[in-house]
Amino acid sequence: MTSKKKISNAITYVVLVLISIIWLFPFVCLVLQSFRSYNEMGGGMVDYIIPKKFSLDSYKFLFDPSSNFISWYKNTLIISVFVTIGQTIFVLCTSYVLSRMRFKGRELLMRFWLILGMFPGFLSMICLYFLLKQFGLTQEGAVPGLILISVASSGMGYYICKGFFDTLPKALDEAARIDGATRAQIFFGMIIPLAKPIIIYQALVAFMGPWCDYVFASYVASGTSASYNVAVGLQRWLFTGDYQGYFTRFCAGGVLVAVPVTILFMCLQKYYVEGVTGGAVKG
Amino acid sequence: MKKRVLALAMSTAMIASVLTACGGGKDTPAQDTNNAADNTAAANNTATDNNAPAENNAADNNAADNTAADNQTMDFGSGEIKIWVPDAVTGVTQTLADSFFSEHPEMAGYTVKIEPMGEGDAAGKVIMDVEAAPDLYAFAQDQMARLVAAGALTTISGDYATFVQDSNDSGAAAAAKVGNEVYAFPLTSDNGYFLYYDKSVVTDPSSLEQIVADCEAAGKNFYFDTGSWYQTAFFFGAGCELTFDTDEDGNFTGINNTYASENGLKAMKAIRQMSESKIYMDGSSVGDAVNWAAIVDGTWDSSSAKEVLGENYACAKLPSFTVDGETFQLGGFGGFKLMGVKPQAEAGKLVVCLELAKYLSDTDAQLTRFNEVGWGPSNVKAQEDPAVQGDEALSALREQLQYTVPQGQYPGEYWSEADALGETICGGNFKGYTDEQLMTELEAFAAKMDALVQ
Amino acid sequence: MKENQIAGFFKGIGNAFGLIGTAFSKGDWKTKLSFIIMGFGSIMRKQFARGIAFLAVEILYIWYIVSFGASYLVKFGSLGTVATHEEPAYFNGIEIGKTTVFGDNSFLILLFSVMTLFITVLFIIIWYINVKNNYESQLKLEAGKELPSNKQDLSSLLDHNFDKTLLSIPVLGVFMFVVVPIVFMILVAFTNYDATHQPPTNLFTWVGFENFKNLLSIGGSGFGSTFFTILIWTLVWAFFATFLNYFGGMAVAILINKKGIKFKKLWRTILVMTIAVPQFVSLLYIGKMFAKDGLINGYLMKWGWIDSAIPFWTDPLLAKITIIIINVWVGIPYVMLITTGLLMNIPEDLYESARIDGANPFQMFMKITLPYMLFVTGPYLLTSFTGNLNNFNVIYLLTTGSPLSTELTGGAGRTDLLITWLYKLTVNDTNYRMAAVIGIMVFVVTAVISLVVYNILPSVKDEEGFQ
Repeated sequence: MTSKKKISNAITYVVLVLISIIWLFPFVCLVLQSFRSYNEMGGGMVDYIIPKKFSLDSYKFLFDPSSNFISWYKNTLIISVFVTIGQTIFVLCTSYVLSRMRFKGRELLMRFWLILGMFPGFLSMICLYFLLKQFGLTQEGAVPGLILISVASSGMGYYICKGFFDTLPKALDEAARIDGATRAQIFFGMIIPLAKPIIIYQALVAFMGPWCDYVFASYVASGTSASYNVAVGLQRWLFTGDYQGYFTRFCAGGVLVAVPVTILFMCLQKYYVEGVTGGAVKG
Repeated sequence: MKKRVLALAMSTAMIASVLTACGGGKDTPAQDTNNAADNTAAANNTATDNNAPAENNAADNNAADNTAADNQTMDFGSGEIKIWVPDAVTGVTQTLADSFFSEHPEMAGYTVKIEPMGEGDAAGKVIMDVEAAPDLYAFAQDQMARLVAAGALTTISGDYATFVQDSNDSGAAAAAKVGNEVYAFPLTSDNGYFLYYDKSVVTDPSSLEQIVADCEAAGKNFYFDTGSWYQTAFFFGAGCELTFDTDEDGNFTGINNTYASENGLKAMKAIRQMSESKIYMDGSSVGDAVNWAAIVDGTWDSSSAKEVLGENYACAKLPSFTVDGETFQLGGFGGFKLMGVKPQAEAGKLVVCLELAKYLSDTDAQLTRFNEVGWGPSNVKAQEDPAVQGDEALSALREQLQYTVPQGQYPGEYWSEADALGETICGGNFKGYTDEQLMTELEAFAAKMDALVQ
Repeated sequence: MKENQIAGFFKGIGNAFGLIGTAFSKGDWKTKLSFIIMGFGSIMRKQFARGIAFLAVEILYIWYIVSFGASYLVKFGSLGTVATHEEPAYFNGIEIGKTTVFGDNSFLILLFSVMTLFITVLFIIIWYINVKNNYESQLKLEAGKELPSNKQDLSSLLDHNFDKTLLSIPVLGVFMFVVVPIVFMILVAFTNYDATHQPPTNLFTWVGFENFKNLLSIGGSGFGSTFFTILIWTLVWAFFATFLNYFGGMAVAILINKKGIKFKKLWRTILVMTIAVPQFVSLLYIGKMFAKDGLINGYLMKWGWIDSAIPFWTDPLLAKITIIIINVWVGIPYVMLITTGLLMNIPEDLYESARIDGANPFQMFMKITLPYMLFVTGPYLLTSFTGNLNNFNVIYLLTTGSPLSTELTGGAGRTDLLITWLYKLTVNDTNYRMAAVIGIMVFVVTAVISLVVYNILPSVKDEEGFQ
């Protein structure tokens, strides 16, 4: 029995190691390529993993002001921070109301939002662009524009947070109301402190979003380099023909984007798991 | 229950105030074309007629006409001129623009803002929102008809048209026109392709079969894009024709199409034959090419190619290809890069834009760009410059140009359909097809092209 | 249930008209005047807070319509008639070119008309609330009751009416930036807004159902055959993407959960990297890895395992398979995270008794684990399926829809989903009319699938079903 168990465990370890290799392989390659010297194939693509000559060329290029990378990074950080704050507040407000309060039209509102969510987001890209343009929030103003759009429509993403509120016992609210607390006092004084895990989850998801947004961000910036975020800037290096030999630079930029997001994610992983698991079960 | 009213009322007041932001927040100065088109501005002017500002402009223009005698005090206006050029020349363009304004202090009311934008992408972004588009932008010739149809290019007339027609080579001068109207200032005549190769691998760059054989022997890749723009090398080389006629508005009115022919079939078989080599790769940019010994590419990649190949760097005109015992020289497009001016509502700004575009496409500017980034001039005087004459890549291109067709106007569907044709062949979908089957495919393609003409 | 709601809605409207009638016939002069001057009655009855709010709404609305909305709304029927044209431009008396005189902008006419219509509906609702409120206050006073004071009105916003305080801005945001754009784009599907009808230089106008006909017309330049090809691939893709990831992820979770396996946290962390690293970095890189001249082919050939490169991205069928496999790499970590905790919730004694009955691990999985998991994660599977129908990132970053094919029109490729095709039509071709139609189709597909699956989900039908 034990020897059988040992064999089965050994097989499991082998499988897990194989899986780990497959899952880490692209990242290892990415990091190695980012350290490849620019003199080797002029920064273009190669068909081997380990560079013949290591150097910091690509990183030096990124930190050079002429590459604009620093300002893209700054833009993304600004967007991320504001979107995190805004979305978290919006989602908390909506989920609390939908979970705790009963009012005319509540069901209708939830159903209506559910249906709205079935429309593909890209559909309205052109319209959002022109809406933002009316406020002067495109091109040079793309950064606040992107924040506005991400925050304004975030109320619809209440599902997971509402699911969490639903699990908090209603008796708490009722007891507090008997003590004469107003709804606002209950919300700020009681629910929010209890909601810490879901707030962290919500904030983490909101924070990670802008780092990946290249479609709408590129649309709104519409050719104004100073308003790009890192995703738009970097994917242009790979997708547009004018950037020859930017492959290692792309890799380096990718690493610089991935590192902080990954670290943050790893630290808050526990909350993320709670959030997605709860969301998956409640739908 | 009833108190809900108040909250609702307040929230409405909120939308209303949000909305007022878009009704009232637009009265910033230094608006160019936007003022006329932008109806919010019209709302500000309390005029119900949206065209009021534009009409005032027209009136101003007439006034200018009447007071032509004392015109020295005429104001060019002020504001910002936005320019889109590819990343490689943003620096050069800034320097040139600075020297333009120091030569023309009377136009110094304008500042210049330069953004990097590739010639391939510019048109799409410009068409999406013409109002917010840059005042001057560089684009590749294949985008021209699309831009004209979308109303994104101002017509160039009078002295400026004469300048475009007289100072550029005949191909570039023709490329600047749609129908009989001139729409852009040519920047380069180098938008064509030829062969970069590794001297130590390729023994005879004049034969496609030999190049493929040499690369196979050395285990190196051979890149030849079969997308819409490059595949014409085979079709035109085999003697096929595909050209479109346009009117002034960028509509396609006629077609000359001989793809569905014996020659077309030969071209298609040659592409298929080439793509079946295991070292053949579908690509045309040095930066993305891996382990290569030969690549069909343009002058814009010459510095990267030099960097990769080092002392084995060499270039030549395109090779010849043999199919069914018959040999043809690869042809293709000789194309151009152009600078366009966005339609303007103010005469003063229009002058400045036209003058600046003219300056940026004149002899000196073209030579500067040649020296800095190796762009091949379209300007006849610049072409005679000894440095230009002696450039290796440009010589290869010049040699190739005698086999090419000056690129005219093509509808957008041509580019996407031909891309699809190339990818279909290279994906091995026609593997083992008989001549009849291939002919059916060609006929279907030719029929799609014919259908593009109303 | 649904029909009841709809019936209730119409009944509500009927009641509203009834109330307006009663209020007009039985209202005193304060209430009657409130029909025209909103909030008048409230102010007269010293309820200044709500009265002023009503009045402010009315003033703002009138100001908005007069100065802005009306000028667009009148052109809604035609979407503009004044064409943009060029005029000779003179500078210093010399003709130097042509200036452009802009005419109507169909896009803005349509957009602001939609917005004005929404605001008008909202205004009518508020007007109705104003009438009702005034009439009810009147009745209350007549019955000798007291009206709430201004202070009570305001403080209720933090208590009974706290829902309005919290919801107002999120709901407004959704209306402005989700609802208005969607309604706008649905309307675009009935216009000829495309590259040759591009405002501000060209007008576009209504064309009825022409675009829908084009989408369904097969043969010639019609989108029909391409649409159905892509639709089928979209469904196939969503099916595989969902279920391969689901079972793969669960398998990995079971492996890691296995008793006696150490470093559980490490294995999980390694997998979770794919979630943390932005997809535009990882997927773009992986796309290049699998290219004909990429790393994978390069090594396989160097080692002599293959003779010529595997056409991962150029062969239509292989491209689809590759993309599904790579998606497993993307998707397994999510499922692993979700299922890890749930798997541990299954009572151990269930397995114990099964083992005593002589069940092998596979039987135990089929009889215990899977039914439980399918039950609990039913909603996840549904959202995951609809999410995969619209999985833009994986497709676009890996292949951009390639390989293209002569059999498809509209620039579509063999791996394009409806959503990436929509994107290409919008961004590359500015063919908004067809993009809008496809967007509506995506909605229809998503809605139909959601509805059908939602109704057969066990966990929805019977919340206590599995114990």
